[in-house]
Amino acid sequence: MLEAFIYVSFIAFISGTVLPLLCRSKNARKASFGLSLLSSILLLVFAGTVLYTGKGPTFPVFRFLPGLDFTLVADRLSAGFILLIAAVVSGVSIYSIEYVEHAKSEARKSLQASLTNLFILAMLMVVLAGNMVGFLVFWEIMSLSSLMLVLHDYSSEENKKAGLFYFIMTSLSTAFLFMGFISLFRLTDSAEFGPLDYSTNDLTLPFLCLFTGFGIKAGLVPFHKWLPYAHPAAPSSISALMSGVMLKVAIYGFLRFLLSVSAPELWWGTLILMVGSLSAVLGVIYALKESDIKRLLAYSSIENIGIIFTGIGLYLIFKLEGLQYLALLSLAGACFHAFNHALFKSLLFLCAGSVVHATGTRNIEALGGLVKSMPHTAALFLIGSVSIVGLPPTSGFVSEMMLFQAYFYSSAVPDPLLKVLLIITLSVFALTSALAATLFVKIFGITFLALPRTKCAQEAAEVPKPMLLGEAVPAAFCILSGLFSSQILNLLGFDLGIPDMLPLGLILAGACGIVWLVVRNSGPTKARISKETWGCGILAQHPTMEYSSAGFSEPLVVIFKKIYRTEISSTRTYSDTRESIFKNGTARMYLIKVFEKRLYLPVASAVSHVSSQVSRMQSGKLDTYVLYVFIAVLTLMTFTRYFA
Amino acid sequence: MNASFLLFALLNTGFILLVSPFFMSLIKKVKASAQGRKGPRLLQSYFDLRKLLQKEVVYSPNSSGIMRITPYLNLAVLLLASLFVPIVFIPDAPAGIGNIIVFLYLLAIERFFMALCGLDAGSTFGGMGSSRLMSLSAVIEPTMVIAFAALAYVLRTMNFHEMFAITAGSTIPESPTLPLISISLFIIIIVETGRIPVDNPATHLELTMMNEAMILEQSGKNLALIELAHAVKQTILMAVLINILAPWGLATELTLAGFVVSCLYFLVKASLLAGIIGLFESSIAKMRLFRLPSFYMMAFFFSALTILMEVFA
Repeated sequence: MLEAFIYVSFIAFISGTVLPLLCRSKNARKASFGLSLLSSILLLVFAGTVLYTGKGPTFPVFRFLPGLDFTLVADRLSAGFILLIAAVVSGVSIYSIEYVEHAKSEARKSLQASLTNLFILAMLMVVLAGNMVGFLVFWEIMSLSSLMLVLHDYSSEENKKAGLFYFIMTSLSTAFLFMGFISLFRLTDSAEFGPLDYSTNDLTLPFLCLFTGFGIKAGLVPFHKWLPYAHPAAPSSISALMSGVMLKVAIYGFLRFLLSVSAPELWWGTLILMVGSLSAVLGVIYALKESDIKRLLAYSSIENIGIIFTGIGLYLIFKLEGLQYLALLSLAGACFHAFNHALFKSLLFLCAGSVVHATGTRNIEALGGLVKSMPHTAALFLIGSVSIVGLPPTSGFVSEMMLFQAYFYSSAVPDPLLKVLLIITLSVFALTSALAATLFVKIFGITFLALPRTKCAQEAAEVPKPMLLGEAVPAAFCILSGLFSSQILNLLGFDLGIPDMLPLGLILAGACGIVWLVVRNSGPTKARISKETWGCGILAQHPTMEYSSAGFSEPLVVIFKKIYRTEISSTRTYSDTRESIFKNGTARMYLIKVFEKRLYLPVASAVSHVSSQVSRMQSGKLDTYVLYVFIAVLTLMTFTRYFA
Repeated sequence: MNASFLLFALLNTGFILLVSPFFMSLIKKVKASAQGRKGPRLLQSYFDLRKLLQKEVVYSPNSSGIMRITPYLNLAVLLLASLFVPIVFIPDAPAGIGNIIVFLYLLAIERFFMALCGLDAGSTFGGMGSSRLMSLSAVIEPTMVIAFAALAYVLRTMNFHEMFAITAGSTIPESPTLPLISISLFIIIIVETGRIPVDNPATHLELTMMNEAMILEQSGKNLALIELAHAVKQTILMAVLINILAPWGLATELTLAGFVVSCLYFLVKASLLAGIIGLFESSIAKMRLFRLPSFYMMAFFFSALTILMEVFA
């Protein structure tokens, strides 16, 4: 019975993919997104049932070729991630019905609708895949469909570069996954995902390959640079899916591997914890310097992925130290944060899409005052911000609190050195969450509050209802899954002893009500609107006097100037020979892209150097190639004779 | 939620609301006498609040709903936070009330909306205040979390109510590391309430102000709410320090005598602490903005040191 849900949604997504291609009309696109909405609801029911009962349906084995089976699994882990996919997709589908109509041409609109469905289907199938072959096939479909969506506006130079960057990184990720899976296959002789139970020495290579592969896709530092390029290039609904869901699919893959290893090693945990903490803090620090709204959100995704990996690292450490409760708490925290991040980040990207749609710019320095022209979008964006900053009683708070709680209880870890590591990463984690608050005060404040800074912000108008409704769905999830977090976790059988948000929320609401009632009945009830903001006797207030995005983050930029590495260069010419009378000159101050300069470019130039050497062998003559084949066969034969 | 907790909520929150403005005036008085001035009356804060509550609110035409909601929300948040810090007696609280992480994040809510409020009217001063507040609070956050983690570490619980029950049961500080944590807690009070050397609550000069800059646009009833919320925050934070370092007299269960004794003891101890804060403020100069992170590092070292001592002891 349950498996029917999967089949129906599979068919729905396929028809959603094909339909807009066959018939390029608005109705076909509407039907296409309607189908994805329908299947997301089916999937919500499916995932909820599997999560609750803990038992998934068994699927038959699909045999493509002898030895190439395709199996599906739906256990609790995959059900959790299906729930995440379905929750985000339901909002994105509603949003896209209207949003997709703003693409440039009819062909692009239909293509976007079709590819969105394919992309969602691929992500769903990656999570459902029961063996490595299926996983990799759908992983590639997922990567390529998202690549095409990133390149949807391929005429702009910037987007081309973003697409190329994304393509290289995602291929690199797949290459590492291939290596990891092949080395696993060599150990077990089986392509199924199953318990991995052998001497730990063998697993170093698969672990490193899979951690790198999934890390690239998830956007861990230092492999994070594709995110701030790809997200601004993609349409906002796609950014929401990529940031909300695709990054989580990578985390799913990594968890699937990690949880099947019966005897992981402690250094895995410390490595994951350190990389996770570093990603989290660097992600948010880089975000502070940005003023492109989608790039800001992309950096903030890096931060949140870092937090999730922090949780996974803590899980491994606590598990190996024999602290079952803390291990469970951190793992549940990581998974819950993955779920929450999917929701509030897709909400924020959708709202950012609305803002970009209404104003035509991504630069928040040009915005301002949108709270008056777009009040609903502003309210929804505020819900997303409050949730991502982790203010109680929203969902973002609950998952961060679970990790904090695990950290605070970590005094039970016996190893003193490990404790010191935990204290350091705890302070980094605290710094991250506080910087995130600063970041979102900046985004919300500069974008939505005060006076509009440019004409495009002045002329903004509220977006159509379907877009608002699409944003409201994840917003509702953010609040409800926060308020009812303890109840939901109890229902799933996890008694983690975390504070119940429901009474807190109720008391807070009650306190607001009491304060309001008491104050309303004292003194005058009417408020007065003055002529202008008080400004020390200025004649008229001008938007240029407002705090700007760069100005807002200036104190932190000064405090963290070691990390930002700005470079100042100047050229001057003088009127006299003694260089005392200045004639003219230029000065430039820019941010050194440390990772690009020190890591990406050297690797890229090394690769292009090697390939230019290889290309010398390409003569274009048939007999030379036959010679190469001959030599290769001989070498292989010799090799197998003596070494295998 | 049981009757005892309901009673606690009324008594504790009522008591905190009642005495909070007093400590604001007291600190001003101490500062004034240290500077050779006469200073305001001890009840001046109450008069100010009453006066403000009877005035109408004036909004800037640029301001939005944020400006209108924040004063109410912030006071409500701090009233909720006041349930976390028992002063009159220690009740049987429902799970979650008293959790130190929730407490930290309740303070974060107040800060977040205050900072948005500063940006709302589009005034340069407000933006400056928000920017400084959020930046510096981000830098102090590791210290706060580590100090609270150290508390949890030493007292083996994450709940203020349980912590205070432990400390109140002993005559000397439970662990020799508690006085060390108290230094961090004291610095946290100074930072969170915006006092010298971090911020100067007595001036309206653009070079020195943070909190005052953000509330420049507030007026009338809203200003009263914000001032009251600020006073409540100060009392709560002082109560945390007092109950950790000098918990004598805190009743562990509800009796009339216990309640009266707790209140009186708290008044005396908090007045002493307020005096110390006033003297501390008078004896030190306002720091340059970018010197502050190193001041915060000091607090960080004290709390990290505490944990490390426990770890390697």
